[in-house]
Amino acid sequence: MRERRIINLPMLMRVSGWLLLMESFFMAFPLLCSIFFHESDIISFALSASITLAAGLMLTYLPRPNNTHLGKRDGFLLTASVWVIFSLFGMLPFLLREHPLTVSNAFFEAMSGFTTTGASTISSAASLTHGMHLWRALMQWLGGMGIILFTVALLPMLNTTGGMQMINAELTGITHDKIRPRVSQTAKSLWGIYILLTVVLLTLLLFAGVNWFDALCHSMGTVSTGGYTTYDSSSSFLTTPFLKIIVTVFMFLGGVNFTLLYRLLTGHLRMVWRNEVLRLYVSIIIAGSALVVASAWFHRRNINMTGTVVDALFQVVSTSSSTGYVLSGERVWGGEVALLMMVMTFFGACAGSTSGGVKLDRLVVLIKHCYYELVRCVHPNNIYPVRLNGRVMPTQQVSKVVVFIFFFIGIIAGGTAVFGIMGVDMGNAFHLALNCMANAGVGNSYAGTPDVVKWFMAFLMLVGRLELFTVLVLFTRTFWHK
Amino acid sequence: MKIVIAGAGEVGMYLAKFLSREDQDIMLIDKDSERLSRLDANYNLMTVTGDPTTFEALREASAGSADLFIAVTPYETDNIVACATAKSLGAKTTVARIERYDFMDEKNRPFVNRMGVDRVIYPEYLAASEILRSMDHAWTRSWYELHNGEIILVGVNVSEKAPMCGMSLRDLSSAGHSFHVSAIRRNHETIIPRGNDIIEAGDILYITSTSKGIRHLMEMTGSEETRLRRALIMGGSKIAVRLLNLANGRYRFIVVEPDLRRCEKISMLCPHAEIIQGDARDPELLSEAGITDADVFIALTDSSESNILSCLTAREAGVKKTVAEVENIQFIPQAEGLNIGTIINKKLLASSSIFQLLLDTDHSTSKCLAIADAEVAELEIKDNSKLTRSAVKDLKLPRELTLAAMIRNGKGMLISGTTELIPGDVVLVFCLRGALKKVEKLFN
Repeated sequence: MRERRIINLPMLMRVSGWLLLMESFFMAFPLLCSIFFHESDIISFALSASITLAAGLMLTYLPRPNNTHLGKRDGFLLTASVWVIFSLFGMLPFLLREHPLTVSNAFFEAMSGFTTTGASTISSAASLTHGMHLWRALMQWLGGMGIILFTVALLPMLNTTGGMQMINAELTGITHDKIRPRVSQTAKSLWGIYILLTVVLLTLLLFAGVNWFDALCHSMGTVSTGGYTTYDSSSSFLTTPFLKIIVTVFMFLGGVNFTLLYRLLTGHLRMVWRNEVLRLYVSIIIAGSALVVASAWFHRRNINMTGTVVDALFQVVSTSSSTGYVLSGERVWGGEVALLMMVMTFFGACAGSTSGGVKLDRLVVLIKHCYYELVRCVHPNNIYPVRLNGRVMPTQQVSKVVVFIFFFIGIIAGGTAVFGIMGVDMGNAFHLALNCMANAGVGNSYAGTPDVVKWFMAFLMLVGRLELFTVLVLFTRTFWHK
Repeated sequence: MKIVIAGAGEVGMYLAKFLSREDQDIMLIDKDSERLSRLDANYNLMTVTGDPTTFEALREASAGSADLFIAVTPYETDNIVACATAKSLGAKTTVARIERYDFMDEKNRPFVNRMGVDRVIYPEYLAASEILRSMDHAWTRSWYELHNGEIILVGVNVSEKAPMCGMSLRDLSSAGHSFHVSAIRRNHETIIPRGNDIIEAGDILYITSTSKGIRHLMEMTGSEETRLRRALIMGGSKIAVRLLNLANGRYRFIVVEPDLRRCEKISMLCPHAEIIQGDARDPELLSEAGITDADVFIALTDSSESNILSCLTAREAGVKKTVAEVENIQFIPQAEGLNIGTIINKKLLASSSIFQLLLDTDHSTSKCLAIADAEVAELEIKDNSKLTRSAVKDLKLPRELTLAAMIRNGKGMLISGTTELIPGDVVLVFCLRGALKKVEKLFN
């Protein structure tokens, strides 16, 4: 019998090579943009794209895999490392520009972009060139739906079991419903919807009178629920109520399970309407907004009702979908709103969307499971199966959900402690840990933050984006031993 | 091509995995969601939980747009209902696995077709005909006739006393033998041999030949034609009954079956057979039944282990040919290593017969059959194919394939290094699993 190594390294390198080729292709867009605007970044993007291209070609053609099989282990390792590799190459434009960022800042920026966290080390975003803005928007846009999902949709070489393992390691959610028989078809459908949403939003923004460049960057930042903006603060972009409303709608859609959106477009209305998670998502947003409005009214009495409702909806959707756009008014709302936002950041939106956090699917399962455990005290012999959207969930999956939430809380607690040790004060430390894990980068620049803190933040973002297990499993002994 | 498979039993799973690797769109329906979730997470296919006999589940799997609908649930009636339902929804071709000969009978065919079942698969029948074929050609392990017998493909075991043992393929071909060694199975591994590979004792060779070359091949492999007369069957299963009916008096059968009722039933169904009630694992009973005089021993009980072990016992008692039914797929490589002549597996037979059917419906793919880890395909050479440029030995063909034989103007002939191929030739190609795509490129 042939000896099989645990990890199929040559094949891993080749697949990473393919992915890098893809990344260099995307770097061509900001390059074109820089050329168009005659900006100083032309060289930086040209260099980055060619370095990435060269690395991609090297990785594609140098290793000679004698076995193209990709197993479970390969899937996990590849997915986790691809995100790191993407960020490593994605930071090149920031390093090679005229006023280069430090390596820590550049990596932080890239990781924050790809994981759609949207936290930034650049103190004044408005001073960035068009090329840089486009690259930041593109990173978010690619990371939002998933780098690997995109690749699988395009490369026939990954339309295999190996490609599916990788997608499973990347997609969010408890289970991954396929919508069509082969992975590449599923990936294409999901990306189709994603592109459709982006284009529709772009058109609407143009219609609302936004210039085309801002419209492009913001539509990518909104649908991917990333939250980068071309201004110093997102509030400078969202000047009219109409703009706020469309952005709210698309942030909301970015938080909906894309499989559901596919069903909606293919005419399965009932299935969408019956979806418990979607219902919960909508009710959380309505209830949350009502609370925010109530709080505003309680604190100030004389408020502009329509304006406040729009602002409240915007803020709640932005937080829940982990986009992280903020309105300047947030600080005016009381402390209870900040607490509400924290809870909403923690749970996020629907699984299978571009949002971050624990995901509402898991919340539904957890609540039901907790309730049944209580009731079981009274009727110990009754069977209480946990149902999600009418389907009974196997006990194993329920336990995985509970474990997931435990890990999530555990890592936030651990992260808080680590940040504390690194010298961040306790309140901020908790905020950092929560926002990184939930990929919701609300707020200010992290330029002044110490480098260690930034590296650890980037790590937490990755852990949060890949939903813990994909990264954590790499740290187990079993993974590396037969 | 879109294929819907109803029933994730062993055949269903085997087919689904295999076909999904062949780049087909697979939908798999089963009632058991846990069984499906394992498949769903690990293979490139889509699953639907539900009863395959219901419209609801079939609609969800969009069976209406399927090119091929395969019903392989454990129950015959379910399969037929599922096929009928799928057909009424619009499935192009439907296949049902059945358990009784009744549905296969030629005179009942129109009725079965009217119900919406286009093709039937009857594994017991397939198994019985496979056994019979191996008995008719007892010196081989497997025997396939292609193109009305113009090309014959045999699998033979090389013994130490075979004249070809120790020879390299180059010597064999320069000696002008009229056969082509196309694949070698050695220590669980399949080799596509080149000129300097040497034939060793214990190898299983897959050899392509024409009907004229067979006698010569027999001499070279050191085997002699054995006239078989008496066959001893252990276990009076459905396969046994089918076999007795198919053989049509060509052999004398003795059936050993422990269950008295079953014995009576068999004696009713097959009046010519000699039936002994008892357990064939008992050596005393075996010698009483005449194991020493038997030419063939066929073990068809439900237990794969018993079948394998009793075949070994029969070999010791001097039986020339043994056949074992091994239903646990994972035992098959081991059983092959134990030198049991022919191994019968209903699931593999059913799967390969469905696969054959699929190839018949899908004209874009080549006809092909899987032997060990190799695939054998019949491909027609198109105009401007690379293969027509020079003689075969100068073509610089990849290592994982070999051209064995061809059909030109309806005549079968072997391919040697000096053969020059022309468009229109149908060529028999051996390649390692997974290389078929590469091969197809060569021909177009």
